[in-house]
Amino acid sequence: MRSGRDNAEHGWWAGREVLLAVQALVLVVGLVLWEVLSRRHPGGPSLDPFFFSRPSLIWGRVQQWFTSGFIYRHITITAEEMILAFLIGAALGIALGFVFGRSPLVSRIFDPYIKVANALPRIVLAPIFALWFGLGVLSKVVFGVTLVFFIVFFNTYQGVREVDRNIVNNARMLGATEADLVRHVLLPSALSWILSSLRTSVGFALVGAVVGEYLGAARGLGYVIQQAEGVLDATGVFAGIVVLSAFVLVVDLVVTVVERRLLVWKPPAATEEAR
Amino acid sequence: MADGRAGTTEPVAVAAAVGFHGVGKTFSVPGGGTYTVLHNLSLTVGAGEFVSIVGPTGGGKSTLLNLAAGLLVPDAGDVLVFGEPLRGLNRRASYLFQSDVLLPWKTAEHNVMLGLQFRRLPPAEARVRARDWLARVGLAGFENRYPHHLSGGMRRRVALAQALIIDPEILLMDEPFSALDVQTRQIMENDLLELWQEDRKTVVFVTHDLEEAIALADRVVVLSAGPASRVLGEYTVGLARPRDVAEIRLTTGFLDIYRRIWEQLRGEVAKAYAQRQR
Ligand SMILES: Nc1ncnc2c1ncn2[C@@H]1O[C@H](COP(=O)(O)OP(=O)(O)OP(=O)(O)O)[C@@H](O)[C@H]1O
Ligand SMILES: [Mg+2]
Repeated sequence: MRSGRDNAEHGWWAGREVLLAVQALVLVVGLVLWEVLSRRHPGGPSLDPFFFSRPSLIWGRVQQWFTSGFIYRHITITAEEMILAFLIGAALGIALGFVFGRSPLVSRIFDPYIKVANALPRIVLAPIFALWFGLGVLSKVVFGVTLVFFIVFFNTYQGVREVDRNIVNNARMLGATEADLVRHVLLPSALSWILSSLRTSVGFALVGAVVGEYLGAARGLGYVIQQAEGVLDATGVFAGIVVLSAFVLVVDLVVTVVERRLLVWKPPAATEEAR
Repeated sequence: MADGRAGTTEPVAVAAAVGFHGVGKTFSVPGGGTYTVLHNLSLTVGAGEFVSIVGPTGGGKSTLLNLAAGLLVPDAGDVLVFGEPLRGLNRRASYLFQSDVLLPWKTAEHNVMLGLQFRRLPPAEARVRARDWLARVGLAGFENRYPHHLSGGMRRRVALAQALIIDPEILLMDEPFSALDVQTRQIMENDLLELWQEDRKTVVFVTHDLEEAIALADRVVVLSAGPASRVLGEYTVGLARPRDVAEIRLTTGFLDIYRRIWEQLRGEVAKAYAQRQR
């Protein structure tokens, strides 16, 4: 349906299969150029493989990491940190978003603090967290939580506040208690807002994990990249980035499936927008 | 005025289902000042009676229903429900809102079930009764549709089933069919009358469409243009039941009463319109 519309608007070349083929071609051309340039042709332009490595080397390293099993524990630890950061950050965000959304007094008192905390570039906290919570999983999770929390918090707050007054009144007329309201009206309403930012908050959970590892850890994808960088191993850095990208793609796929399942009730246009 | 009330001499009912006694409601307007919507309004609706309320837009019709529902509290006067002063929400009434208030994240069936769920009925039983009600409003087979997959008329039917499943004694309806096309509307009006005929609940039906008001009701109440609206006239509709809303519009009895009410309503509509222009 989508490609049909694109077809009408942009002509034959935007058809889905053609588009995919062109996109793949761009990638191949880029990789080939990189490969060729990094193999130093006398006289011509070139890339120093010491700094830029080379696709074949990088691919070889990635393969080696997987066949030796070296990379698995790093992926596991990063995934673990990401999932924990997301779950804890989302739970806190939803809980506090609810309290703020339902209580004008609380929201008025704490409003400036929330604003300042949100405006603060959270990256400066990472070293402090490493100091407080050590170099293990905990400091990365806490760091990720500070990133995820605010996104979920603001969306929950908005979702609770923006519920149509008559929808709430209708439920109350049908006999809803305050708990019923939360369960059947407010939470689902907030959930649609939270889900619309799911991609962003999961992304931030991952950023929290990787950046935290990068700044000080003994395991994880961020650590792998940082280690390679430490010994000026460009191939290792790029290989780490490749693995990380593949990881992001998998996470993205999962998020898409979850979104589809939880937002079946939404009109297609709104779902499209949310993505 | 004398003419307007002439038809209401017959006993309204022993126990009035809803009574407004000298009710006033004033809102504070954002940016300072106040706006008096209703002033010293009195009106009773008998048990089992179908009353239509007509009046110009902004005249306070929705406000009146909100008072009857207990969603608003009057600044002056009393709202009585079966003789008792109303405190909190009106637990004996269902309310069909002017706007679309189905929960978009619940299927038709789950929307209809809500009232029973809130009454802690076992889910299995609630489900059976919801399916039954969906069938009664003509939506068998649409149980698992989400509201955005239903037409406007179907959504109204779901809302009707949602309101009726808790078997209220009073049904408050705020322009329930005004967003529908003429054909759908007539079908729904007939269906509503048929449902009402079964157990004759008390109905307060707000509309700005005089034809609809007469075709459905036992009595038509005309509200004045705002601000400070009050009851201008009450007209008993003596047309026989059961009725077909499309056919009854063509009878002389209907045209007669239509002419009488319109005489009065026309002036109010003009007043409301003039206020809008200012
Ligand atoms: N909560 C409120 N605060 C301030 N003013 C209000 C509020 N609710 C209603 N009003 C005002 O009261 C007046 C009557 O409103 P109401 O909705 O009862 O009219 P209505 O007769 O139902 O109109 P319509 O036919 O357009 O639905 C309007 O002028 C409206 O602006
Ligand atoms: Mg209204």
